[in-house]
Amino acid sequence: MERFELRRQDFSLDEDQQAVREGFGDFFTKQVPSSLVRDAEPLGFDADLWQRVVAMGATSMALPEAVGGDDATLVDLVLVAEELGKVVAPVPLVSHVVASRLLASAGGADELVAAAAGGERIVTLALQPVVGGNRQLVPDAALARDVVAWSAEGLTLHTVAEPAAHVPNQGSTPLAWFDPAAGERTVLATGPEAEALFRTAVGEWKLLTAAALVGIGQSALDLGVEFAKTRRTLGVAIGALQGVAFPLADVVTELSGARNLVLKAAWYATHEPRTRPDLPLAAFVHAARAATEAAWVSAHTQGGLGFTIEADISLFFLRAKGWSVLGGDPGADRRAVATALLASV
Amino acid sequence: MDLSTVELTPEQQAFQQEVRAFLDEIVTEEVHEHERRTGDGFNEGVHLALGSRGWLFPAWPVSDGGAGLDRVCQRILALELSRREVPMVTHSTTGLVWSAVELSADPELAARLKPEVAAGRVRFCLGYSDPEGGSDIAGATLRAVRDGDEWVLNGSKLWTTGAHNCQYTFLITRTDPEAPKHKGLTMFLVPLDSPGVEIQAIRTYGGERTNAVYYTDVHVSDTYRMGDVNAGWATLQGPLSAEHGAGRPDDGLSDIGMTMGTREFEAAIDAAARWAKRTTRPDGTLVADDPAFLDRLGHLVVETEAIRVTPGPMGRNKSSLSYIAGIAELIDMVGPEALLAHGSEGAIEDGVIDYAHRFAQGTATYGGTTEVFKGMIAQHVLGLPRLNLPGSKAWVR
Repeated sequence: MERFELRRQDFSLDEDQQAVREGFGDFFTKQVPSSLVRDAEPLGFDADLWQRVVAMGATSMALPEAVGGDDATLVDLVLVAEELGKVVAPVPLVSHVVASRLLASAGGADELVAAAAGGERIVTLALQPVVGGNRQLVPDAALARDVVAWSAEGLTLHTVAEPAAHVPNQGSTPLAWFDPAAGERTVLATGPEAEALFRTAVGEWKLLTAAALVGIGQSALDLGVEFAKTRRTLGVAIGALQGVAFPLADVVTELSGARNLVLKAAWYATHEPRTRPDLPLAAFVHAARAATEAAWVSAHTQGGLGFTIEADISLFFLRAKGWSVLGGDPGADRRAVATALLASV
Repeated sequence: MDLSTVELTPEQQAFQQEVRAFLDEIVTEEVHEHERRTGDGFNEGVHLALGSRGWLFPAWPVSDGGAGLDRVCQRILALELSRREVPMVTHSTTGLVWSAVELSADPELAARLKPEVAAGRVRFCLGYSDPEGGSDIAGATLRAVRDGDEWVLNGSKLWTTGAHNCQYTFLITRTDPEAPKHKGLTMFLVPLDSPGVEIQAIRTYGGERTNAVYYTDVHVSDTYRMGDVNAGWATLQGPLSAEHGAGRPDDGLSDIGMTMGTREFEAAIDAAARWAKRTTRPDGTLVADDPAFLDRLGHLVVETEAIRVTPGPMGRNKSSLSYIAGIAELIDMVGPEALLAHGSEGAIEDGVIDYAHRFAQGTATYGGTTEVFKGMIAQHVLGLPRLNLPGSKAWVR
């Protein structure tokens, strides 16, 4: 790898990007109090909120203009996903947007892409390759009648009459078993093209999930810091004690790096998709670890209170792992990142 | 956001070629051998050669001894120096001290030193840590007592890296032992050839040489005082505050974090990756085909990617702590070959992994320990309250 490349390192957001972040930040903060998140359990879906998210343009913004989108970039999408993660909004936005983009680029039926853009039809994708008739757990498949999956046969749209049955899970997500033999099947692409489309989509899913995990980690951290400022022991705020403060300083360090790594990966995926296809995977690995650390450190900062269901940290603790693990073992991503390095040295 | 490759004008391209050709000529194997032998972080020949081109302070106008380079050319030069592992420790301390000299020194002294500094003939080191003080530099005990137009210095400093190759040390002294800790300090630029100055080498297992410097009845003219008497803390902070006020230029042409040892860490990882591609285990399998090896290597690559984008002082901590943990892991992954020293039969790429492991430990201490930085992050990034200890505001001996 060229380690001394003359590239800009400008991570500042332009006005439009700042407007996206602030607009969605305000929206999610106002629309998603923690009570709404609790009320949406165990399925992890609030249909009214979904309508409002659609009305904000979140489901269509990053589709091509030709199919009614606004050609927003992955940089815009990661900003939205981080804000969504900050409130752990119970909507299937990440899988839906990625599957919609995949359908649009793989030549999915116009009516389906239009219905997905308008949020009327929720779509998702199977993140693991389909082998034989083996079933797999698919994020948001308890809401979606349409699942895009990839196998040796090609990239296939599976459409069922009713979404599969929800399987309750730690992260309160609309998870369901996906049976590749069920429903109608439409082959969208075959051969290397199909695989490339699938890999790109999985990369996008991991990138947006990484952004959401940064948001989860940030909110977890904020709860811990607030507690450390107000809770007192031995005559001082516990946050003055190094044993409490230093782990929180480590968390903000990890999250700051994860946020920038997500942005970097999004920038490359948008502007130079072939240069660093390993970056979304690296961002996902780092964000998953950072969110996990943020959640347990914050919960622990709050002591026994941080272990109770009433404490909001519980929402973030359960989802930091409950959302990240949907992408499978990050070990597979680490191996892919290492393979990319081996090819470049 | 802009992470794109910088398009070079024909002039900038020519400059890049010029830099590469010049460094090919001056950064010889002998320079690296000298560095391995001395651990000086400095090579006089290279330093003077860079000075002769105005490349020690490349942003300065030519009339001041610089090269008047634009930001892109400054970045080109910095990347090429880094790529060739040019020993730059004394160069960097000189730059740091110069900012303070410019702000706080007697203008005549500054004017006299400027061309010498630009040419590389005058170099500065940092006289910060007292032997018992470590990172708590405001707790300095080295005494300076006024004697007419002079000051008399008594005490000692540790970790004065480069003192034996420098002409002056930027020294923090205690001038009022009765005042609160930060209000009794005065800074001086002390000529290192003054009678009573004794420099003793200290060696690290990172291969570096640093120094203990002893001051016994050293007489320094008041001309060398930097800033007001008992205002040493402001003098020391001056360049930092000025830098914060101006902010990092917003053109994306500098690193976003304060990394330490990342070049060495990445070099070791790359060497291990090449080793894995060409090495078979005793059972005949290629290391690069081992999924467990790839998983662990991937973790280290992700860490370096994260280090490179973790901003400011947080990057300083991330770079050291990930490096220390990661290089130890890399040694396990490669096995004993990783620890064969430069020159040993079978050493991997001249012992680059061995070196990186030894070098890592110091990075958690240089420039203030990672704990000092965690305290700063807790206070200034998270807004957590400061812990008041007996020696926070008062000078406690």
